[in-house]
Amino acid sequence: MKKFTVIIIDDERLAREEVKRSLAGLPEFEIIGEAKNYDEAKKQIEALKPELIFLDIQMPGRSGFDLLESLQEVPQVVFTTAFNEYAVKAFDIEALDYLVKPLREERFAITIERIRKRLLKTEIAHNDASDKQVFIKDGNKCFFVQLKDVYLIESADNYARLYFNNQKALIKRSLNQLEETLDSSIFFRITRNQIINTKYISHINNLEKGKLQVTLHKGGPLEVSLRQSVLFKSLNRI
Amino acid sequence: MAALYWGYLGYTGTGFSLPIAILHFFTDILICISITHFFRIISKKYCWHELKFQKLLIRIVPAVLLLAFVYMLISIAKLYVVHINFRPDFTQSFSSFYRENSVPIFMGGTRLMSIWLLAYYLYHYAQREIKIIQENARLNLIAKEAQLNNLWAQLNPHFLFNSLNSIKSLVVENPESSRRAIDLLSDLLRKSLYERDPTLISIEDELAMVSDYLELEKIRFEERLQFTIDVPRQLLSFSIIPFSIQTLVENAVKHGINKQSDGGTISIKVRDERSFVSMTVENPGMLNTDSASHGLGLKNLQERLCLQFHDKASFSIEQKNKMVSATIMIPTA
Repeated sequence: MKKFTVIIIDDERLAREEVKRSLAGLPEFEIIGEAKNYDEAKKQIEALKPELIFLDIQMPGRSGFDLLESLQEVPQVVFTTAFNEYAVKAFDIEALDYLVKPLREERFAITIERIRKRLLKTEIAHNDASDKQVFIKDGNKCFFVQLKDVYLIESADNYARLYFNNQKALIKRSLNQLEETLDSSIFFRITRNQIINTKYISHINNLEKGKLQVTLHKGGPLEVSLRQSVLFKSLNRI
Repeated sequence: MAALYWGYLGYTGTGFSLPIAILHFFTDILICISITHFFRIISKKYCWHELKFQKLLIRIVPAVLLLAFVYMLISIAKLYVVHINFRPDFTQSFSSFYRENSVPIFMGGTRLMSIWLLAYYLYHYAQREIKIIQENARLNLIAKEAQLNNLWAQLNPHFLFNSLNSIKSLVVENPESSRRAIDLLSDLLRKSLYERDPTLISIEDELAMVSDYLELEKIRFEERLQFTIDVPRQLLSFSIIPFSIQTLVENAVKHGINKQSDGGTISIKVRDERSFVSMTVENPGMLNTDSASHGLGLKNLQERLCLQFHDKASFSIEQKNKMVSATIMIPTA
């Protein structure tokens, strides 16, 4: 049986024990790590690449949100907190689930159902390398952004602006850093300042001097730089 | 109001030919308003309206006589001038006119001035009463609000749920310790729910609660939380505001220990400083200068200190190296 890998992150040992105990009777979950602060958690997530994390929002030093923001690739997240649920929802995040401490058995069972569904879905889609998510905290709003939903990325100084669904958000990463984590078979850099998701191209025009102009499902036409036009043509044999 | 009153008196007081009646009407108003206004200025200057009844009486009896005398002089002078000018048959000399009219006009003036002064001070008295009632209501409201905030801060939901979560975990891991934790939590809850009435409690009782609280938090934070309590024996019976040290210690846990990955030590010191007793709570951490972070707890504590000791008690919080130090000073006398 395929096991889902889990890391538990909470600054209190007893609280981590509680999550462990709740997971104990569920053989499909394998706890591969435990962390009590930001640094430990970041190290472990990057090394062990878990599919799921249980994350306490309030931790000493840097919060659970800081942690998620710093990750190149964000696993599925279940937040655990001693705040009430409404207080957490005020953060405006689309997390897999929120759990309030102490964790109640019946409530935990619902969470487990959600996790199963979500993880199985991502497993089926696992061959699709673009099925990754990033976490963005833009002002008061938090987003888990599926990279496959992103159609355009523009650089904005040291940040990058992601356009997805009908929204946009600033991520604290340069375009170069982002390009490294993106699937190069789908994302293509059309200029120094723009990356597009080629799955969203609706049509392509030829401009003078061999330059290309692409139009996405959303937004106006975008001009491709000369060098990238040549590259794009050779990659796609047009 | 006063003008109408005087006007009415003036009108009823002089009732023959119309132009002369109108003349008397306006001059009477003018005279009375001037005299009473002059008195009002003096009364305001020396704050007579804030005096107690007896002290006020000593001042207003001679004042009434004096005002009545002034009223009499001016009125007689006015009457004489009016008579001379408007009554061709009037030939009386001023001195005989004065002798004839001084007593009745003086008596009338005394009556008028007494009524006016009485009305004036009654009005001020009523104003003062209303103000006092309003102020009392406001103080009451503040006290009630403080009580409520206190209850909320004390019940501190975050603390409560984290504690319950720890206890739940301990039940499996260390039943003895979980039993102890339930005892501590019960006592803290009982104190915050039922024992908030006394305005003052002894340092000994306050510190008993503080150490219960810290013992409970230590179960949760484990080795991350250490604490020391240092109080001279002779100060144990000294009276302080309940939940004062407790508020500081809760803040030290919430903003200090909770934010340090490796935790640290909270030290509580009580010292006799002659005219003051100082209570200091120190914890590792950085003082957040952001005013929004100065939560209900501290604001409430300051309000309670102010209500209890007026301006004699003080509260201060400062950063020393990597420690935050909060101090309450309570006067010994």
